[in-house]
Amino acid sequence: MWLLLLTYACLIIFVAGLGWRIYKYASLPVHLRWELYPVAHEIGKPYGGSYLEDEGWWRRPRKINLLGESTVFLREIIFFREYFRSNRRFWLFVYPFHLGLFLLVLWVVMLLIGAILALNGLTVSAISANLWLQMTFYLTLVSGITAFILGVFGTVGLLLKRSFDEDLRNYTAPIDYFNLLSILLIFLTGLLFWTLEDMPFNATRGFVQGLLSFKAAQVSPLMTANIVLSVLFLAYMPFTRMVHYVAKYFTYHKIRWDDEPISRGSKLEGKVRKLLAWHESWSAPHIRPGETWSEQAAGTGVADTKEASK
Amino acid sequence: MKKKITIKDIGRQDGQLAEIRPEDLVPLPYPYDQPVSQPGIRQMTADQKKKFETSLDGISAIGLKRPETREEEEEFVTKFLSGLKKLLSKENNWTFLQPLMLSLENCAKCQNCSDACPVYTESGRQEIYRPTYRAEVLRRIIRRHLKKENKLLAKFTGSDIDLDYTTIARLAELAYRCTLCRRCAQSCPIGVDNGLITHEIRKIFSQEMGIAPKEIHEGGTVKQIRTGSSTGTTPKALQSFISFIEGEIEEKTGKPIKLPIDKMGADVLLMHNTGEFISWPENVAAFAIIFDAAGIDWTLSSNLMGYDAVNYGVWYDDVQFSRIAVRHMQAARDLKVNRVLVGECGHAHKAMLVVADRILTGDLNIPRESAIPLLENIVLNDRIKLDASRNNFPLTLHDPCNLVRLSGIVEPQRRILRKICPDFREMEPHGVDNYCCGGGSGFAVMDSNNFSDWRSSVSGRMKLRQILEVFQDVISPDIHKYVCAPCSNCKGQIRDLFSYYKVSEKCSIHYGGLVELIVNAMVDIKGPFINWETV
Repeated sequence: MWLLLLTYACLIIFVAGLGWRIYKYASLPVHLRWELYPVAHEIGKPYGGSYLEDEGWWRRPRKINLLGESTVFLREIIFFREYFRSNRRFWLFVYPFHLGLFLLVLWVVMLLIGAILALNGLTVSAISANLWLQMTFYLTLVSGITAFILGVFGTVGLLLKRSFDEDLRNYTAPIDYFNLLSILLIFLTGLLFWTLEDMPFNATRGFVQGLLSFKAAQVSPLMTANIVLSVLFLAYMPFTRMVHYVAKYFTYHKIRWDDEPISRGSKLEGKVRKLLAWHESWSAPHIRPGETWSEQAAGTGVADTKEASK
Repeated sequence: MKKKITIKDIGRQDGQLAEIRPEDLVPLPYPYDQPVSQPGIRQMTADQKKKFETSLDGISAIGLKRPETREEEEEFVTKFLSGLKKLLSKENNWTFLQPLMLSLENCAKCQNCSDACPVYTESGRQEIYRPTYRAEVLRRIIRRHLKKENKLLAKFTGSDIDLDYTTIARLAELAYRCTLCRRCAQSCPIGVDNGLITHEIRKIFSQEMGIAPKEIHEGGTVKQIRTGSSTGTTPKALQSFISFIEGEIEEKTGKPIKLPIDKMGADVLLMHNTGEFISWPENVAAFAIIFDAAGIDWTLSSNLMGYDAVNYGVWYDDVQFSRIAVRHMQAARDLKVNRVLVGECGHAHKAMLVVADRILTGDLNIPRESAIPLLENIVLNDRIKLDASRNNFPLTLHDPCNLVRLSGIVEPQRRILRKICPDFREMEPHGVDNYCCGGGSGFAVMDSNNFSDWRSSVSGRMKLRQILEVFQDVISPDIHKYVCAPCSNCKGQIRDLFSYYKVSEKCSIHYGGLVELIVNAMVDIKGPFINWETV
């Protein structure tokens, strides 16, 4: 029962922590434009051009290609293109590592589906009469096994690279090794558990079933170790830089590709007006503390401007 | 083997942290492939070293003076921390807080950005110039000294860093070893922007401590707000420049073209970098000739803040930036023009068209464009008669970072050159993947102490390499070659690079703007507009 309670507690912390992190970034004020080209939603400018290339751009309604933006973003997430393009040796480890994590998530989703089906009296197995049930079984199996194998390979590779590559080692703190070792342990215990005890993942599905129905399932010590490590890690992750997957949404969509021009009377202009009314308190001699941003911009910062009229 | 500098070393007290030795720099192509053919970096004298902070790399960009007493040192640290606190607050830094927080909290330290940085690679991979180095110093200071992580936790999270005068003074100098080209940000899979972090570090020093290179603060934004231009050109002086340029036009073309000034209700207000009037008046003249021939309804402004498009604030200070951005638009509003066009000035493009966009509300939100698309319209639609054979010399295009990667204006200038220059050749890489000229973020106007040697030897090295490589097959001094650089600061940097390495004499490579090439190809103009003796 304690394992169930620990899992619930950690899941709650994970969801709350992740929510807090998302809220923290999303609630930051609108910033000045700081886009970086190529901007993926520009139309007909594959070389990285912007609407500023068009004379009189402000006379025409702005068109953006959201599908193009999503495609570029997904391609980057799924294949890690930037690393592939610029640092293939690192990609060799960082890609399997992340692919292992993606597949781990898929594995958990498949286990959840399988557990819900099982709770409804359906048997998820290789010999199920229904093709969908068979597919659920096999997809769980394949995602789990590949996640563990790729994960172990990628994590070991990253650990070795961080330890022996001087450029990386200089910037790696004990916490970074701790994080990687934690992930390695999760993948390793998973792999061992699958090899030694639960090849069809039936016991794992049983545990998930128990989670959904508040009933403690029978779990072996090895599986307990894997579950404890995984859920503790989940509870810890939102408070570290390992949630850069959340950050990535913002850095791409809200900074790199945020080229929305301001127009008179727009919602964006309303937001900016409010921000310009905020008071600032910088202390350098050319800044008058306590003024709003608008007042500050209107001022000269110097007392004597007579010379200007000469 | 030399021991690598670590992050913690930034506070090391045993003299200069890094040394820039000519033999460590990446070799250049012919005719600079022998070390002896390259000038070195002047050493600071003992007296200068005593006076100015040089303990980072022996270079002084901002002329930071050492505090004389222990109390002054402590005050320096306190002020820095107070500025850092403000930098992380919404009220004081709403302008860049979201990108800053995302970049501070999510770097995976994979070093993918290092190879994207020309300063780091060309310096022979000097650790202190690595894009992540200064960012990591700032992160550690925040965790250890602002969030007050205890020593044990700091060791575990890797944020044990000392904070004293030396650390902060070196960080101040280090903020001026990056040209803010943001090539590193482009290469980051997570979207972390170390260029932005550099920009934000500069803001702490300027906005809280009043520390910035004098060429971009006192001699830059402050002077511009006071006199109308960072060059010191007053409205009255502008009139004499204009008369001079009109005289030059008449002499060269035989046409009595007047530069319209303060024409109310004109379609276009053209804003140049005033440096053009002083250093490259032929650029201002060429614009006037083209607009006159194409029948553009345009004007210049003699309003105090209407004739110099520069806004150095974009490099180091949001307050100075917003003051200039607002005044630029007030000048345009007073003239009741339809739109403002930025001439060949890269940072003015980024400042006025992009970054200022969310400062200019209501009637200050006047349409702003680059002049290049209008030029493209004129050239490609045959609104003036051109003969490409007049530009039959090897030519390459330098992409100003502010124009391409930071404003997305990439192809119009190329479409013009393809039409009017038969021997147009691209440097590699180019477009949004370009390399900075080495004079970005204010460097081109910074000349204190030995800083100009550093920018010619280190930050401009990649650009010089690209230029030499693209012309290797015609490198002989008997063949005139042209680097088209549609940006005043890039031109300034290329001028200094060429003079430092004697490129014009040794290779007959010259530089200039885009409009000069258009006028040079105009069939209505009798003689050649480009003068190889002066470009």
